[in-house]
Amino acid sequence: MDNGATMHLAVSLFSGIADRGVEPEFSRLASFVQRAEAAKLDMVLLADSAPAAGGGAVNSPMAFEATTLLAALATVTSRIGLVAAASTVAHQPYNLTRRFASLDIISHGRAGWHATMAQAPREAANFSRPDGFSSDDFRRRTEEYIGIVQGLWRGWDADALLFDKAGGRFHDPDKMHLLDHQGEFFSVRGPLNVARSPQDTPVLALSGLSEPDFNIAARTADVILLDDGPAEDTKARFDDLKRRVVACGREPDAVKVLTNVSLEDGPTLAADRLDQRFRSKSCDGFNLLLPARPSALDDFMGLVLPELRRRGLFREGYRGTTLRSHLGLAGGGDQ
Amino acid sequence: MTAQMKLGAFLWATGHHIAAWRHPKAHVTAGIDIDHYIQLARTAEAAKFDMIFCEDAAGLREADIGIASQTSRSIGFEPISLLSALAVQTSRIGLVSTASTSYNEPYGLARTFLSLDQLSGGRAGWNLVTSASPIEAANFGATGLKPHADRYERAREFAEVVTGLWHGKLGASGHDGQSFSVRDPLDLPRSPQGAPVMVQAGASDVGRDLAARTADVVFTAAQTFEEAKAFYDDLKGRMAAYGRGPDDIKIMPGVAPVVAETEAEAREKHEELQELIPDDVGLALLSSYLSISDLWRYPIDGPLPDLPESEGMKSRQALVIEQSRRDGLSIRQLARHFAGARGHWRIVGTPAQVADELQARFEGGAADGFNVMPSYFPGELDAFAALVVPELQRRGLFRRDYEGRTLRDHLDLKRPA
Repeated sequence: MDNGATMHLAVSLFSGIADRGVEPEFSRLASFVQRAEAAKLDMVLLADSAPAAGGGAVNSPMAFEATTLLAALATVTSRIGLVAAASTVAHQPYNLTRRFASLDIISHGRAGWHATMAQAPREAANFSRPDGFSSDDFRRRTEEYIGIVQGLWRGWDADALLFDKAGGRFHDPDKMHLLDHQGEFFSVRGPLNVARSPQDTPVLALSGLSEPDFNIAARTADVILLDDGPAEDTKARFDDLKRRVVACGREPDAVKVLTNVSLEDGPTLAADRLDQRFRSKSCDGFNLLLPARPSALDDFMGLVLPELRRRGLFREGYRGTTLRSHLGLAGGGDQ
Repeated sequence: MTAQMKLGAFLWATGHHIAAWRHPKAHVTAGIDIDHYIQLARTAEAAKFDMIFCEDAAGLREADIGIASQTSRSIGFEPISLLSALAVQTSRIGLVSTASTSYNEPYGLARTFLSLDQLSGGRAGWNLVTSASPIEAANFGATGLKPHADRYERAREFAEVVTGLWHGKLGASGHDGQSFSVRDPLDLPRSPQGAPVMVQAGASDVGRDLAARTADVVFTAAQTFEEAKAFYDDLKGRMAAYGRGPDDIKIMPGVAPVVAETEAEAREKHEELQELIPDDVGLALLSSYLSISDLWRYPIDGPLPDLPESEGMKSRQALVIEQSRRDGLSIRQLARHFAGARGHWRIVGTPAQVADELQARFEGGAADGFNVMPSYFPGELDAFAALVVPELQRRGLFRRDYEGRTLRDHLDLKRPA
């Protein structure tokens, strides 16, 4: 676990951020992520460009669906966390759970699922639900969905696989657990047909929260992404969330609250701003929304990061190999 | 140039033989080892296979947990994430995955496969299946299985929406059908090969019609030449009704070869695998073949008892009973026989013998190529690549190098307009 002295840093990946050139799009995105890895950032958030999956420049169309892109990026990186957005409307929970469990094994414990509590206005119409869901239904459905995903991820005990050729025992049936979930929106028997995650479970990052979602996030999320706002508001929101985390019986550090920040300022100003926000304890770190120009990451790495490191606000290197270990979360798998 | 056969490398868990994982040389941790799969993909690519193929099911393979724990098939990679990883670790070989029309939505599936196609530079394919397993159904809140015809009607509409999205031909009003509605076109660039390749495996009458209407490639299971030939002629004969030519679909039966330098070695290798099948696993598979539940009551080294006729599986049951009587097989021998091959065409022999058999079916008009199902990994894929592929190349039956870049190029398929 970390002591809270240093900030966590994520960077959002979207199309305009990578070099435009003759290289294929994947190579350009891979090069971006490799540079973020060289800078030892905790994780890259892969936006999913489905119509109305979110909004703004972060969702300008990419050539790839986020989970497939994550799998490919996992093979050309070795330490950085890779978190993909995937919609609860576009996937059945069993299928989404499998995808991320598999991504976590492919990446050796560096994968995360970015789910949003906000219903994308146009999306449901492409998934045979022209009328979408009411806000209340969507909230209850998402909550149930997350419970299924996390339950399925825990269906195999860490020592369930025996690989005992001579004895003819591939796994221990007592260490494989059915989910037997029957709820308002879904029923899922389980178990998952993908092995347990190398980092215990993939990381769950939640965004799009409104106040009624705070308890759901406090109970289930590993990372909460919040939009920036006036200092006193973000501080109050942070304290409120951490109180709720404790009320759920979790350690306050078991959930990392990151603030989305657009970095359009010069380097010293940017470092000051992050410093100020972090030291006032209004977040555990930041999700960087860089300007849509290829040099933006280099500028951040070359100018802002050294300043943050000089002030002792960001670690020099990775502590472990899993995303949980970068984030200082329990169950990192390699502490 | 005379036509050459197409070859798929069917990657499945530790191997296609039910007891593969117990083989001393099988890579037992395949289901959690991405580097193992990257190596298999590179082996298949170096051998110039047209494609890698991954099957899929959204649940366990065995209803009985105890039986499941004696096979290696309860855990493995989810295939779309697996192939996406392989896409950037290979450069020429096709990447085909199964995905079910029963538990997906066409918009999401079309988008995901198009993304795989983009990552691979036009090497992706989708194997359309409908799900009939109650084990899968229980993971998707289904209260009961839909009748066969309904599943296929859903599949037909599903395929129509997916190809419409891939071809950019979904009208301005989108799609509003019986099972699905879609409003927007896909938000990804058009496929580098026009559209990902459509694969199918259904052998029933409605399945064949759906294949003739929509598929570029069909995988089938056929034990004998006559069976394979009848299927081939029937399916090619259906193409005209959908305005398509016989060459617009490639028919690739599965083949499970066990190959070694000498016939004796090959037989020994096969026998070694058969010996590794646990009795209760063999019995469970044979029981499901025969649609009976109390086979364990009878002495395992004795003959098959007289069985009541079951519904639905009549022809298969008759085949098993006939074989057991004809060859005087005990229950154990019969169980091993069926558990090992699982109804697929098995060839045990030298590279020349395997090549002879493949050549006979290819030139006899019973196959356009084969989906190769190695009995265990990596050894048996290595053996096929090292022994059989060069033999086929010597005979001019298989390419020595790739000529094109996309999966459609490899398969000589037209690029959709």
